[in-house]
Amino acid sequence: MSILSYNGGAVVAMKGKNCVAIASDKKFGIQLQLISKEFPKIFEMGPHLYVGLPGLATDTQTVHARLKFRQNLFELKEGTRMSPKVFSSMVSNMLYEKRFGPYFVEPIVVGLEPDTYEPFICNMDLIGNVCFPEDFVVGGTCEDQLFGTCETMWEPDLSPDDLFETISQALMSAFNRDAGSGWGAVVYIIEKDKVTTRHLKTRMD
Amino acid sequence: MASVMLPVEPTPGFSFENCRRNEFLKAKGYKAPVATKTGTTIVGCVFADGVILGADTRATAGSIVADKECAKIHYMAKNMYCCGAGTAADTEATTALISSQLELHRLNTGRVVPVVTAATMLKQMLFRYQGHIGAALILGGVDSNGSHLYTIAPQGSTSKNPFTSMGSGSLAAMSILEKCWKPNMTEEEAKKVIRDAIAAGIFNDLGSGSNVDLCVIRKGSVEYVKPYEKANVKGTRTGNYKFKRGTTEVLSKKVVPIIIEEEIVKPISSDSQMDTS
Amino acid sequence: MALADVCKIGPNFQFRPFKNETVEDVCEQTANFTNGFQLALPPFADPARNLARFNKDESGKPIQFKFDHGTTTLAFRYQGGVLLAVDSRATGGSFIGSQNMKKIIEINDFLLGTLAGGAADCVYWDRVLTKQCRMYELRNRERISVAAASKLLANMFYNYKGMGLSMGMMLAGWDKRGPGLYYISDDGTRTPGKVFSVGSGSVYAFGVLDSGYRWDLTDEEAYQLGRRAIYHATHRDAASGGIIRVYQITKEGWTHIADEDCNDVHYKLEEAKAASTSS
Repeated sequence: MSILSYNGGAVVAMKGKNCVAIASDKKFGIQLQLISKEFPKIFEMGPHLYVGLPGLATDTQTVHARLKFRQNLFELKEGTRMSPKVFSSMVSNMLYEKRFGPYFVEPIVVGLEPDTYEPFICNMDLIGNVCFPEDFVVGGTCEDQLFGTCETMWEPDLSPDDLFETISQALMSAFNRDAGSGWGAVVYIIEKDKVTTRHLKTRMD
Repeated sequence: MASVMLPVEPTPGFSFENCRRNEFLKAKGYKAPVATKTGTTIVGCVFADGVILGADTRATAGSIVADKECAKIHYMAKNMYCCGAGTAADTEATTALISSQLELHRLNTGRVVPVVTAATMLKQMLFRYQGHIGAALILGGVDSNGSHLYTIAPQGSTSKNPFTSMGSGSLAAMSILEKCWKPNMTEEEAKKVIRDAIAAGIFNDLGSGSNVDLCVIRKGSVEYVKPYEKANVKGTRTGNYKFKRGTTEVLSKKVVPIIIEEEIVKPISSDSQMDTS
Repeated sequence: MALADVCKIGPNFQFRPFKNETVEDVCEQTANFTNGFQLALPPFADPARNLARFNKDESGKPIQFKFDHGTTTLAFRYQGGVLLAVDSRATGGSFIGSQNMKKIIEINDFLLGTLAGGAADCVYWDRVLTKQCRMYELRNRERISVAAASKLLANMFYNYKGMGLSMGMMLAGWDKRGPGLYYISDDGTRTPGKVFSVGSGSVYAFGVLDSGYRWDLTDEEAYQLGRRAIYHATHRDAASGGIIRVYQITKEGWTHIADEDCNDVHYKLEEAKAASTSS
C-alpha cells in the first residue's frame, strides 16, 4: 500500500465561468478504520484563495501550518495579499526543497487572480511539479475514478450553480467506488463577491 | 534566531529533515509514491541559421496521464532554451535555477552568455547530485560562436551533437533523425524533421503524447510555437452530462460575502521593462 | 429403477463407453473436471510447504494478491432459531468492485453459508459443499445435519491448509438437533457456537452484538440487533458497506427477512438520534 492512501481522502477542483470550485471528502481514517468524519483537507488561505492537501494526514497538517507561516511572512513583508499564482510557486518551492525526503501530499491550489478575477487552478505532485490545466485537477486515493468522472462530466463555462452540481456529482460518484475516501463531502464555490460552502449528504459506508 | 515559538525562515538548498521518517515508513512496507515523470520525447537539431528544439506535451504519473499540455521546453536565456526529460519537478527546478544564474551572469558580464557556460553549469550541478536529480536535458542556443546543441545526462555527462533525442521516446525519434537529418538544412526542412521525430515519439511511445511543441532559435530571434501541431485532437462529445440543479443533496450551506472596498486597476503597457540598471 | 424408467433406458439399451478427447485432455491436466475436491496443484513436491515460498518476491516482500476481500458477516443462535446478517461490499485493494454482492449462500432450504475472505474461494467451496449435501440427501433419504455439513467443509479446507486459501465461513441451519451454527475457517478450524462475526468489520459488529445479545430475544429484536451490528460495522470499516441482508432460520427452513441499503439505515438512525435529543 502506498503511504498516500494510509489515511485516505480525495480532493477535486474545477474551473467555471468567473468562478472556481474545490471539493473534498471529510474522512480521516487509519487504513480500513474510520477515525473521524470531520477532517478538513481544504484550507482558506485568503478571501479568494484555497488550498487542498490530500495525502498523509500528518503531512496535510504540517504542510498547511508551514504554508501559512510562509504566507504570513510574505504578506507582512510585502504588505499585499498573495495571489494564487505566487502562492502556488511558494508551495512548489517548499515541496521541492524536500526533494529527497518529501512530504506525502499532492496539493491543489484554487483561487481567483486579484484585479482580473480570472479563475486559477493548479495541482502538484509530492515534490512540487506544477500543472496548470484548463479544466479540472484531481488528487487523493480515488484519483483514477475522479479522472474518469471529471473527464465525462466537466464542460467549459459552467455557472456557479451548475459547477456545484458537476463537481459534487463527480466527487461522489468517484468516492462511492473507493474504500479509502468518502464519509461526507464539502464543496467551496469561489466567486468574485462571495464564497459558498456546502456540506453534502453522501453515503456513509 | 530560531526557537520553538518562532521557526526561522528556511535556508536555501535541499532539506533532508523528512528522510529518516520516510525511510522508516518504507521499511514498514509503505511504498513511497511516484513523482510525476515527463515520460517524454524531446529532440533538437542544428540547421543552417540556428537550432530547433522539439518536445511532446504529456506528463505521466505511473500509468496516468497527469498533464496533457505541459511545457517541456524551458526558457534559459534570451538566446537559449532547454528541453527536459525525466522527473518533471527536477527538470523544472534545475532549468529555473540555472536560468536565474545565467541572468545574473549576463548582468555581471554585460554580454550574451555563451551556450557552453549554461551547459557547464548544468553538468556541474547534476554531477554534484550523482544522478539523484533525474533531469535529462537537451540544451540548444545561439551565441557569438554559432549554434550549439548539448545533451546532458542526469549523471552530468554531456555531449555536443548536431542532432539528438532524449526521453522514453528517444529511440523512435532518433530513427527519424538518423534518416532525415542533413547538414545545413533550411529552417522549413529542419522544422519538418523535428516535427516528424516528435510525432514518431508520440505515436510509438506510450509515455509521450498530445501535441508537438517547437522552439526555433536563430541569431537574434526566437520563435516558440506552442502547440506547433496537435497530434491527437480530442473528439467533441455529443452527449451532455449536466445535472439538474438540486440533484445533489445539501446538508448545510454557508455563504460568506467578500466585500471589495476598493478596486485599483493599474494599466501596464506591454513594452515597459524592468529597470535593471 | 425409477430413474431408468424415466430416461427410457430399457434392458437392451447400449451403454457405449463415453469417449471425448477434449475431456480426457482436461482430465489429464486437472482432476477437478471430474472431482470437485481436487484443485490443480503446482508442479512441485509438497505444495503445502513449498507453495508458501512463492508468496514472497525476490526481495522478501509479500506478493500482493488483489482478490476481493473485506467483509462483515454475523450470525447468532437465539430462542427463535438462527439469525444471519451480512453486508454486500466486495473490494479489491481499495477499489470497490461491487456494492451488491450476495454473501449469504443458500445451500438448501435448511442450510445457509456466509462468505468472508477470498470471494472466489468461498463461492467455489460452497458450491462443492452444495453438491455434497445434495448427494448425501439422495444417498441417505434425509437431510444432512449442520454438524456433518460443516465437517465436510472443514475437511475440504484442511486438505488445502497452508496453500493460500482465504476463507472464514459460517454455516447455519436447522436439523434434527434444532438450530445449528458453526464457524469454519481456512486453517481447518470448525467450532460450534452461539454468536459469531467474521471479516474485517467483525470487531465493530461484535461490539454491538455483545451488548445487545440475549438468548430470549424476540424475532423482531433479533432482526434489529443483526441489522444494527452490520450497520455500525459498515460505518466504521472501509471494506464493508452496501446493502444489509438479513436471513432467519427456523424449523420451517430459512426465510429472507430484508435487504436494506445501509445508507438509508444511517440517515434513519441519525434522524431518530436528532429527534430523541431535541425532545
